[in-house]
Amino acid sequence: MTLGEGTVCGIAGIIYRHSRDYSRLGSDLLTLIQPLESRGPDSSGVALYHSHQPSSVFTIVLRGQGKSRWQDVLQWFEAIAPVAQTAAITNGQRIRLDLSGLEGLDLTTVRWGFRQQFPDLHWVSAGYSLEVYKEVGAVANLDNAYGLHDFSGSHGIGHTRMATESAVDTDHCHPFTAGTDLAIVHNGQISNYYRLRFQLERSGVIFETDNDSELLAHYINYHLQQGEALESVLYRLLDVVDGTYTFLVATVDYVGLVRDRTAAKPAVIYETENMVAIASEYRALLNLPDFNPKATVREPDASEINIWSTATGLKLAPPLSKALL
Amino acid sequence: MSNSVTITKTTIDCAQFSTREINQQLKALAAEGVQEITILNPQGRHNLGVGLEAPVTVRFQGPVGYYCGGLGDGIRFTIDGTCGWSVGENLMSGQIVVQGNASAMAAASAHGGVVCILGDAGPRAGISLKGATLIVTGSVGHSSAFMMQQGRMIVCGDAGPNLGDSIYDGEIFVAGAIASLGADAKLVPMTEQDWQVLTTELAPWGITAKVHPFKKIVCAQQLYHFQAKDFSKWKDAY
Repeated sequence: MTLGEGTVCGIAGIIYRHSRDYSRLGSDLLTLIQPLESRGPDSSGVALYHSHQPSSVFTIVLRGQGKSRWQDVLQWFEAIAPVAQTAAITNGQRIRLDLSGLEGLDLTTVRWGFRQQFPDLHWVSAGYSLEVYKEVGAVANLDNAYGLHDFSGSHGIGHTRMATESAVDTDHCHPFTAGTDLAIVHNGQISNYYRLRFQLERSGVIFETDNDSELLAHYINYHLQQGEALESVLYRLLDVVDGTYTFLVATVDYVGLVRDRTAAKPAVIYETENMVAIASEYRALLNLPDFNPKATVREPDASEINIWSTATGLKLAPPLSKALL
Repeated sequence: MSNSVTITKTTIDCAQFSTREINQQLKALAAEGVQEITILNPQGRHNLGVGLEAPVTVRFQGPVGYYCGGLGDGIRFTIDGTCGWSVGENLMSGQIVVQGNASAMAAASAHGGVVCILGDAGPRAGISLKGATLIVTGSVGHSSAFMMQQGRMIVCGDAGPNLGDSIYDGEIFVAGAIASLGADAKLVPMTEQDWQVLTTELAPWGITAKVHPFKKIVCAQQLYHFQAKDFSKWKDAY
């Protein structure tokens, strides 16, 4: 009996409808991805959107090997904006910039500058709400390394990895991010990764790794930056990106779930009046503390796009299947 | 006075055992002559009841994961809930009833027996069917009956795009709308014998075949002897 395409990487996501549940985010998301370790034993990661930082605080998560020059990094950032807070995290640093005195941040210039100054360091995530944490090994490693079970936030996405296209190390873990507050987790393989990557790089996009999944984050972010709506970008993506993919994309305001044109990779959606949860396999949902067996559980169709508002947990528009258009 | 007690019915609570232990117990119980087994708390587990070659009746009280009843021979399973991918994969004989929706690849490569989904099935339902009968009272998804070789798929609802793509042989019946046909699949007229077969197959599930507008799809056999230059006989999978 072959396991075939049913295995390989697990993805999950949670959106709470009510702020009273925000304190559960870290704990619930880790609980949700833990059973998916059997799909992806190499590493795990989460992208969490916190609810408690003031809106002028910009958080950057960085990773580095061994003894990195964190003091130099902090000094470099101080020249851009005041560093409100900094914390050492496992193999990395989390820096919170106070942008209250500035008119935003030219992130593209900052990224390019950072890449030139510190080419050995890895830019994990950046945003007003977003924090990304990843680690090799079991999900327990992730919690142990970063103490995420106390993380409070409105929504988050997570991933367990079985490396198929690129190396197993922390930098190649999902979630991947692009721009400000955008993260993705992906199950599948992207066949035309290099061609699409080169197109984006010619437009000034910086790729952190050679992991094909990272493409999704940059492709979506690039088109959102052009002013396109998320739904429109995701529909175009179905035609442009070749391969197998079920993925979740998260921003501050939305979480989107996309399945490729043949529904090659699994996804299950669970919706109650308190939350929306997505997971690669039904059995992962059973771990949720207040799992309701009578709740709406459904599998999206091939080419189906679901987008939820993170403010309300409500779906943006009825799920539309491209096949019917 | 009888010196021995024959147990005919028993229960296994999945919460207490690994999947391997459950499956080993099922085989052992079947060998001892137990006729009916109830499985509690399946909790969406994969590979429940695989490789069971015995005429035993098993009821799963709850949703199951992937491959439930796979490689079964003579089994009679009922799943009170949804099932994951590939329910009844490579079933040799027997019957599996799913009282809920099936995920992708229901009855994948099944050789004999009946798999009945009392709900919708997902993409690739009946993929590589090899002689079994797959009945879906709801709809089936994308690329169903892909590379079907033998057997019968009966769909009371709709069929998604690319139905019967690369079919070799066998018969597909769809009562609802067909989004599109796959490569080498073609519609043919229903015969009186077809209606009789449908009536017989659907009656146990409380469905009167004749009130539904079933259509029949079989292999057009244009790709049996394939010439790469015959582009007109290709169907673009995209």
